[in-house]
Amino acid sequence: MATPVLDIDRLRKRFGGVTAVDGVSLRLEAGRIYGLIGPNGSGKTTLFNCITGVERRDEGRVVFGGERVDGLRPWEIAQKGIGRTFQVIRVFPELSALENLLVVTRDRLAAARERADRLLRFVKLDGLRDEYAGNLSYGQQKLLEFVRMLMRDPTLILLDEPAAGVNRTLLNDLLEAVRQLRDRGKTILLVEHDMKVVMGLCETVFVLDHGEKIAEGAPGVIQTDERVIEAYFGR
Amino acid sequence: MSQRVALAAPVAVALALAAYPVVASGYEVRATLQIFMWIVLAGSWNLISGLTGYVSFGHVAFFGAGAYAGAILISKAGWPWLAAALVGGGAAVLLALVIGYPCLRLKGPYFAIAMLGLNEVLRALVSYFEGLTGGGNGLSLPTLDATVPIYYVMGLTAVAVTVLTYLIITSRFGLRLMTIREDEVAAEAMGIDTARHKLYAFLLSAAGPGIAGALTARDQGYIEPISVFPLATTITMIVMVLFGGKGTVWGPVLGAVVLFVAQEVVWARYPYVHPLLFGALIVAVVLLMPRGVLGILQVRYRLPRTI
Repeated sequence: MATPVLDIDRLRKRFGGVTAVDGVSLRLEAGRIYGLIGPNGSGKTTLFNCITGVERRDEGRVVFGGERVDGLRPWEIAQKGIGRTFQVIRVFPELSALENLLVVTRDRLAAARERADRLLRFVKLDGLRDEYAGNLSYGQQKLLEFVRMLMRDPTLILLDEPAAGVNRTLLNDLLEAVRQLRDRGKTILLVEHDMKVVMGLCETVFVLDHGEKIAEGAPGVIQTDERVIEAYFGR
Repeated sequence: MSQRVALAAPVAVALALAAYPVVASGYEVRATLQIFMWIVLAGSWNLISGLTGYVSFGHVAFFGAGAYAGAILISKAGWPWLAAALVGGGAAVLLALVIGYPCLRLKGPYFAIAMLGLNEVLRALVSYFEGLTGGGNGLSLPTLDATVPIYYVMGLTAVAVTVLTYLIITSRFGLRLMTIREDEVAAEAMGIDTARHKLYAFLLSAAGPGIAGALTARDQGYIEPISVFPLATTITMIVMVLFGGKGTVWGPVLGAVVLFVAQEVVWARYPYVHPLLFGALIVAVVLLMPRGVLGILQVRYRLPRTI
């Protein structure tokens, strides 16, 4: 088996008496799309936060590209090549759409501008490049956040509910973009509640419940897994 | 065309101000010197608080540190005041470096309060070390009439702070400072080393007040703890920036000029109503135009931040 892009080993995170992530292990390989599902409060976003350094894990290891990244600061992890979007949109509202992208890289300005223009065209926001990000619609902000994350050309992409609040047309564009990124060798891990999206897009799905990984496999297999059905609908 | 005006107008104003002491009265030179000082203070506060979003409630601490460093060098070591002023700026930057590491980890109101506390600690410290600072009795400097040269140096410092603000705001370094104000968690997730950026902004915001403090100490010839560490000075610089427009280049300048002139006029005519009016102005600015004059124009007419 090839070296995994991301190797999470028995990761544990507690908040007071609550164990939000309880000994989860995951392996992600290059060029694939993975889904992370589970009921509310099952630890999906906490797991994202532990991978990206926003939360510090209590136990376990996170190895990215053969290198341990648990314990690093979020910006160091981002610079190593993990990009993410947030469940609640976090663009920089009083920066223009273009500036939102330009701040992210340290490339020469001309190169950064060219890349930013290309990415804005890619999500059809080039006409709004000088508009404040805070003035864009919800869907446009979501797209902007998506391409902002791509400015650093990350190897691993974490998407927290990319489909939430996005209309069908926009969603199809977004999903197509994700597939294109996969075809270029990127690895994608997404949290999503929209099962149609998960089943249509992901090659492997991990299921969390109460902070534990209860299932892992192809979407078709997951759908019929006893424990998964139980977690979602109760016994 | 408009770019030429944008460049020519400040240059013309600067030239006029350079010639001003020749024709102005002593009072007028002193008043203009004070305006320069407020531009330095407001412009510096704008860097860390308006641009980077870390609201400092103790920024006068750097002014006081510079004042004491400068005054001690002049009175005890016999330094020339210009060199003492530069070291005063350096002392303030050094202080910012020492307290920046722990304090800049704090967010929002906690940072504001920590800075407020720092100022009180400094005031207590200079009162305590009487041998060096004269304690509560204050520190007298040798007599010297240098108001006009100090006018020029303070004016140059004001220009330097404003030019620095322009350079920062038009750079990606400045944009990165703004991402800290806008959303620090997102900035970190995008690979921006926020701790380092905040510290740089903080150091830059301390230099001007340090120089201004030392120059003011020299000009007044006498300092004491309550005269160089007053909370009111911090509040005034905050109000000036909020009034003019935080995060802009000219907002602090506009705020400093308008509020200082207004204060002088009101102060002279209605000394008792003055604090009341000033308080009412703070409330009005915060309630009615939190973005300040230039901030409103910027948003309404889609002007660049360089106004």
